[in-house]
Amino acid sequence: MGLWAGTTVLLAAAGGLCIFFPGTAAVGCLWPAAVLAAVLLGRSLWKLLKNPEILIRTEQTVDSVPLQNRDAEYRGEQEQIRKENSQLRLELQLLRRQHAWGQAVLESIRDAVLVVNEQDQVLFANPAARELLNLDSGGQPQELPDGPEPAGRLREKIQRCRNGRIRHVRHELTMDVQGQQRIFEAVLSCLDEWGTTRGGVVAVLHDISREREISQMKNEFVSHVSHELKTPLASINAYAEMLVDGEAKEPEMIRQFCSIIQSQALRLNRLIEDILNISRIESGLIKVNRSCQSMALIVRDAVEMIRSYAQEKNITVRAPAPILYDQVYVDRDMMSQAVINLLSNAVKYTPAGGTITVGLEVNEADGRLTVSVSDTGVGIPPEELGRVFEKFYRVQANNHMAKGTGLGLNLVKQIVETVHGGRVFVSSVVGQGSTFGFELPLAMTGCAAVSAGSLS
Amino acid sequence: MAERKALVVDDEFHIVQVVAIKLRNNGFEVFTADNGSQAYQLACEHHPDVIITDYQMPAMTGLELIEKLRQNPSTADTPVLLLTARGFAVDPQQKETLRVAACLSKPFSPREVLHCVEEVLAQRAGV
Repeated sequence: MGLWAGTTVLLAAAGGLCIFFPGTAAVGCLWPAAVLAAVLLGRSLWKLLKNPEILIRTEQTVDSVPLQNRDAEYRGEQEQIRKENSQLRLELQLLRRQHAWGQAVLESIRDAVLVVNEQDQVLFANPAARELLNLDSGGQPQELPDGPEPAGRLREKIQRCRNGRIRHVRHELTMDVQGQQRIFEAVLSCLDEWGTTRGGVVAVLHDISREREISQMKNEFVSHVSHELKTPLASINAYAEMLVDGEAKEPEMIRQFCSIIQSQALRLNRLIEDILNISRIESGLIKVNRSCQSMALIVRDAVEMIRSYAQEKNITVRAPAPILYDQVYVDRDMMSQAVINLLSNAVKYTPAGGTITVGLEVNEADGRLTVSVSDTGVGIPPEELGRVFEKFYRVQANNHMAKGTGLGLNLVKQIVETVHGGRVFVSSVVGQGSTFGFELPLAMTGCAAVSAGSLS
Repeated sequence: MAERKALVVDDEFHIVQVVAIKLRNNGFEVFTADNGSQAYQLACEHHPDVIITDYQMPAMTGLELIEKLRQNPSTADTPVLLLTARGFAVDPQQKETLRVAACLSKPFSPREVLHCVEEVLAQRAGV
């Protein structure tokens, strides 16, 4: 419709030119077009005059149809925006939750986490970091202080990490925490901000004091054990060589050398057994052969085994009187080992002429049995009393009294508590003596009575 | 020629005995001690030509004994052999400062101890 009207107007205009300027050159070529245009224009005007509503309808056609389309379009867009808005709200909620979760993780972990910018201003520090480095919580961005304090030393490491553009670096820092020296492993990483490093550094400080302590204990253990193993081995080797070299002339001396070799081999075996037993109990790999046993019999046998050792030091061992019902459901060999360890410890730390008293009590009401070994030895300082059952721990003040690996009492604890569900105990007075012992549950049912009469 | 004197120190009775027998069988007069303090007293009293001591002993270690011996003019120059199950633990500088003649690791050979003692005494005689 528009094209048709345009053409008509053009042609009418051309026709008009021809009518008003009949003398021009253009007239020769345009006059037929002028005629045609005049005709067409006439027809159109006639049509328009005949049906004036066309004009109104045309106007309506031009405006109303796009409006309806636009309305639909707007509604669609609005719907789309509403959907996107709702999606964005969800994503925002998710991001907030993730942020809060990440924050909670960082705030909860025991390791100190710290983020600093290129000016060494703290952008983030979790509570562990704030406490460790003595930083203010919240408020204005705080600059890490300089100087010899932990934060200052950390700042120096951070600067080195940043200047060297080192991706990750580990340092060890000794810091004072509540009056105690602690060793921290600081892992510093240059902050990767969208693929570029702008000077920000993340520091994670992990307390490795316990690991260090364990490592040192292991080293000491290896050192102790190697000494303990080598001592009987040295005797075996030396006496065997003496026999080979014919240094033992008389038969009695030969017999004595052979006897020493044998006893040292047994000692070596006992030591290896101790080490293996602790390791087996700790790893849960030990085979426990439980059966009903009379504790009095176990104690009596252990006392007999230790008696010659005690006599060498002129120490009297008083054994308990037999009692009627002392049945326990235990691994006999292990329990025997526990009693022997308590007894040999008592002999070791009791000066010549002392006394060791072995006690055995049954509390039927509680269903428990108590074995105690009291000595008149050197005693243990109160501050060390709590640690005597620890593996490899040796009372410093009494170190000079005897050699040892610090395994014996730990083995007693493992046997009594881990394997048999009992409880070990110790009490001591320096200069007067110590009492070591343990409690075990009595075997209640299913045990054939062991005759107390067999105890002589 | 006067009998050579040796002092053997170890808290392990069997070790003391075996070294003492080896040395006695080879012409030494041997004194024995089971701790550092007793050894120091015997050293001051008998002036042995050589001392063989354990490193790890309760109360006074072998190195502490040597340190004490070096401070006393009458025992300052006595050659000392150190028996140890911890050869790695002896600091070379400390060994030099205290003039430890030799370190023998446990398990040791009595033959080796005798050989070492003879060598140390020969060196001293040469000097």
